[in-house]
Amino acid sequence: MQSALDPAGGDAWDLYWLTIVMTVGATVIFIFVTALLLYAIFAPPESRAWLGTRRTIVYGGLAFPIVTLSLLLPYGLVVMRNTDVPQAGALQIEAVGEQYWWRVRYPAEGEQGEFSTANELVVPIGRPIAVTVTSFDVIHSFWIPNFGGKIDMIPGRINTFNFTADRPGIYRGVCAEFCGAQHARMAFDVMALEPAAFEAWRRAQAQPAREPATPFLERGRQLFRSGGCGSCHVVRGTDADGRVGPDLTHVGSRRTIGAGQFPNNIGTLAGWIANVQHIKPGARMPSYGSLTGEDLRALAGYLESLK
Amino acid sequence: MSGTRTLQVLLTLGGMLAWAVQFTVVYGATSTLCARGWADATLFGLGVVPFTILTTTLAALAAAAILLVVCVRAERQSRDRPASATDRFLSHAGMLINGLSLVAILWNGVPAFILPACA
Amino acid sequence: MNVPELPKSFERPDAEFPNPVPRPEGELEALKRPWKAPRGLSFITAVNNTYVGLWYVGTALLFFVLAGILALIMRVQLASPESDFVSHDLYNQLFTMHGTVMMFLFAVPAVEAASVYLLPNMQAARDLPFPRLSAYAFWAYFVGGLVFFGTIFFGLAPNGGWFMYPPLTSTKYSPAENADWWLLGIGFIEISAIAGAIEIIVGVMKTRAVGMSLDKLPVYSWAMLVFAVMIVIGFPAIILGTLLLEMERAFDWPFFIAERGGDPLLWQHLFWFFGHPEVYIIFLPATGMVSMIVPTMAQTPLVGYRLVVLALIATGFLSFGLWVHHMFATGLPKMSLGFFSAASTAVAVPSGIQVFAWIATIASGRMKLTTPSLFIIGFLFVFTLGGLTGVMVAMAPFDWQAHDSYFVVAHLHYVLIGGMVFPLFAAIYYWVPVASKRALSERLGRWVFGLMFLGMNVTFLPMHITGLIGMPRRVYTYPVGMGWDELNLVSTIGAFMLAAGVALFVFDMARNFRLASEDNAGNVWNAGTLEWLPNGNYATRSIPAVVSREPLWDQPNLSKDVEDGRYYMPGTVTGGREALVTSPFDARPQYILQIPGPGWQPLLAAVFTAAFFLLLTVKFVFPAAICGVLALGCVIWWLWETDPGPIRPPADIGGGIVLPVYATGPMNHSWWAMIVLMVVMGMVFTCLIFSYLFLWLVNPGAWPPQGVRIPDWIWPALSAFLYCASVALVAVASRQLRGEDRRKPRSVPILIGVALLLVGGAAAVDLWAQWQTALSPSAHAYGAAVYAIMSLQIFLVLTTLVMGLYTIARWLAGKLDTVRRTTFDNTMLFWYYTAGQGLVALLVVHGFPRLTGGV
Repeated sequence: MQSALDPAGGDAWDLYWLTIVMTVGATVIFIFVTALLLYAIFAPPESRAWLGTRRTIVYGGLAFPIVTLSLLLPYGLVVMRNTDVPQAGALQIEAVGEQYWWRVRYPAEGEQGEFSTANELVVPIGRPIAVTVTSFDVIHSFWIPNFGGKIDMIPGRINTFNFTADRPGIYRGVCAEFCGAQHARMAFDVMALEPAAFEAWRRAQAQPAREPATPFLERGRQLFRSGGCGSCHVVRGTDADGRVGPDLTHVGSRRTIGAGQFPNNIGTLAGWIANVQHIKPGARMPSYGSLTGEDLRALAGYLESLK
Repeated sequence: MSGTRTLQVLLTLGGMLAWAVQFTVVYGATSTLCARGWADATLFGLGVVPFTILTTTLAALAAAAILLVVCVRAERQSRDRPASATDRFLSHAGMLINGLSLVAILWNGVPAFILPACA
Repeated sequence: MNVPELPKSFERPDAEFPNPVPRPEGELEALKRPWKAPRGLSFITAVNNTYVGLWYVGTALLFFVLAGILALIMRVQLASPESDFVSHDLYNQLFTMHGTVMMFLFAVPAVEAASVYLLPNMQAARDLPFPRLSAYAFWAYFVGGLVFFGTIFFGLAPNGGWFMYPPLTSTKYSPAENADWWLLGIGFIEISAIAGAIEIIVGVMKTRAVGMSLDKLPVYSWAMLVFAVMIVIGFPAIILGTLLLEMERAFDWPFFIAERGGDPLLWQHLFWFFGHPEVYIIFLPATGMVSMIVPTMAQTPLVGYRLVVLALIATGFLSFGLWVHHMFATGLPKMSLGFFSAASTAVAVPSGIQVFAWIATIASGRMKLTTPSLFIIGFLFVFTLGGLTGVMVAMAPFDWQAHDSYFVVAHLHYVLIGGMVFPLFAAIYYWVPVASKRALSERLGRWVFGLMFLGMNVTFLPMHITGLIGMPRRVYTYPVGMGWDELNLVSTIGAFMLAAGVALFVFDMARNFRLASEDNAGNVWNAGTLEWLPNGNYATRSIPAVVSREPLWDQPNLSKDVEDGRYYMPGTVTGGREALVTSPFDARPQYILQIPGPGWQPLLAAVFTAAFFLLLTVKFVFPAAICGVLALGCVIWWLWETDPGPIRPPADIGGGIVLPVYATGPMNHSWWAMIVLMVVMGMVFTCLIFSYLFLWLVNPGAWPPQGVRIPDWIWPALSAFLYCASVALVAVASRQLRGEDRRKPRSVPILIGVALLLVGGAAAVDLWAQWQTALSPSAHAYGAAVYAIMSLQIFLVLTTLVMGLYTIARWLAGKLDTVRRTTFDNTMLFWYYTAGQGLVALLVVHGFPRLTGGV
């Protein structure tokens, strides 16, 4: 699900083979050195005498590492040159790390309008992706093990991370740089889709939010408005235009909530709203524990309907 | 510490000092040139970043090689003449240190042949 | 090349020894008297390296156990997913404290402590050259360390990681005092480490057995020399870093705040320029220990001595070219990463040399499988693996995956436990017979090793996988179903095995360690080096002349001859504590150093220094200031008793060698110490200038920022003139103080007084020049950098002021003349440095922005 040993993109494969080559090499050298050490201790004195000279150090400790590393260094540098390379025509995505979630923005491209989402990265397979990252507050690090290495999100600096997804699937990314109280609960989903599915998703995301279909959901929208949720969250197409928290225009379409913490359904949404500070203490959203059960269900239902 | 001794220490550690200077120069120059947008400038038909790295590396290699030769000579002489154990030790250590420095300096120049200047 | 069988009775004629036997009646008693430690409560004022060294090692081990307990709590929390054993806030404090305490309160102090005990013994010196400085360093560490650790019980412990990256640790995101505890607490313990390093450098270079020239220096001494030089070069970076971050937190000077021209990456550069060499700072002394233990256990000299020395020196250099490999994921240009990849690769070579040197030595002898041997074998096994994964993470692209994952946790514990803890335990089992009446138990020792070795591997081997399958570091919990559960549980079980091994070791120590003075367990391993000579508080009875690297093997009967007083300086010539100062290359005797004995001054100075920093942390500014003044007062009281002058004519130490009991100039031990201190100051300043240039680099077109005026050139010119004039006056005073006639020229205090006014004026002029341009230190990083450079300079000028006044006071008290002038020399050296730094600072602050024209 989230593993450097299960590559799903070209760069990740390069890194994977580098890992394999070095692991095998290191294992062989390790066994050799250990065997030599045990031989030096336990072999009969006359048969190990040849080992006990300065020549051993010159060959084993000087010549051998120099030759091996003279091969490894250029190999490592070539892998570095070939991975994380900006490509022409790449899909541009912007990600901003915040304590403790991810703001993700897809800039306008051609006829496709721009839109924002949160805690999920949806990409088409086969097309190069360029994620531009920075941070709103402290240093975070953007890491999707199946697609390659990590890149730090540093306030005041803009870094990019380039990769291509080779096969469709659901992957997971995490924050790799300690960023405070809830560093452990800062993950995101990565969905690699067939190009057509991606286009459909992107078109849907650019739409404004759905209107509530039932009175129950309409009540949820009322609660969203009266509860002041809109001062922190955006729901495009409504008067909710807060910029502090995640964009909720299509929150119902996301796989998980709470930055990759729980599956997204009406129950977890309600639990989250009522208990944020218990589930993820230190997050900036307060708990809304005073809502009645009925209200909570309506509010969560409304959010869940925002597909 | 007398002047001769100071010189001996410099000879012994010289290769590593050459490495340190090379390292500082190539890293400092690359950072500065890239941060100030000189990525594509060229010098004698070569990008300014690889040019700096190559010239610095060659200079450092030359310095370490010369020191190596000096130490080898001093070591030979100390075999013929009744030099003190300390002198022999210093020139021998100098040979080893300057020799290893050559490798470190050489490796430090390798990125210039493989990597893009400022990407 | 095995050790020859020692002839049972081997007598050389008296004429071959420097001193005849029998020794005069009462000589030994006269030697013993000044070296006695005080009794009762005053025992804590003892400064003998044997006592201070053991307290120091003991305290370091205490912190090892405490930080280990923190790790166990973390392992319990991580044993299962979504565990509620500890809260997220406590967990974040736990891992911050575990890393910080292990690195700053255990690893560095432990190796420094061991050398306080071992170095003088190994070099047959009576003590370290500055015993009171060791005592000061120890007490500062002891008090500061315990208070720092105590914060965990009040929820006040730092919680931003041992690397303390801003902006997470800046006021905005960490408003509470937790971060200040780290910055002030650790910053000040660094000062203690530097004090120790100065002591070690001078100790290795100047106090050795006669004839112990550089080619016969024990490998351990070489390792400690490289170690100390690395501290002197590397630690100033973290001291400066903590200063800058604390200034940002306290006064809002935005060094690391991006909106105002700062850059969080500056901290990372400063931190890792210290932080990576730190790993080798810990590792090199451990390899030095291994290079002493292996030859003894194999009963044969070390193979490839010169190659091992080469490896130590090369590691010392190369380890300063690695720091960015902790920053491979920060988005620097690939070319820059390439250089650090190359250097990280290169540093593997010297480690390879050492590993093969030990294997060759073992092969050339016959390894006895004692407890120290087992720990050495475990070390070779574990460290080789850690070194190989080190080469892997040196490859930047692989590191992009491994960085900040559990793979790195595994790697660093293999390197640090393998490379430092195992050798340290080998060393304890090996050297306890020097300090204790009984050796430790070999039977228990095997269990200790077995549990620690297995526990270590069970804990950390699985973590390589845990990391590669995606588990990031520093998470207080992890979700169910990630595939990490079993691996984490195994790691937790391993951690408790490791802990059981340590617990058994503590039991063994409690049962068998009995402090010895002259009745230690003796040379139980038949080792060849001088720490195994019979010794007491005064170290060895006489200072031997050595002709090889293993004198006890090659100079038959050495122990007895040394104990009989046949060698140099078998008594005391001044009636007080003395050490033999030798030349740095050939170890020829130069003079007899009168060493200060026990006293309350270093202890009180340390307590007040600690109080100063700790009170400052909790913002009790006024009491802190009082403690600061008291600390300074204690230091002056302590110094007042030093620089005794030639209290008697030159004395015969045997073999026709007549030495003075006082020396000045470049031969003097404190001259050396002052030069090393100047290197420390120079490195702090270099790091500050680097910070200035770095901030320039990240602020294109804003250096200085819009609307900031650079002072007219006349002011820096005036300031520079004043610096030069003050130096000229000090040089004249030095000239006046020449001669053998013990004059006390009246011009000296006057010249110093005027020079003080000039140097003070120089700093004041520069400060005023910046002040009148209304430059704000908090508006932009430019102003912050300028004020930081000026603040450091003003600090130096104030120190010069204190030293100048102290020197005048010495003259007034009649303790300064043309011969007895060490105090003046030290002041003079510091003065030259202050003026030199002042000139460079003026050049940078006023010249650089003009040169670049704001580009």
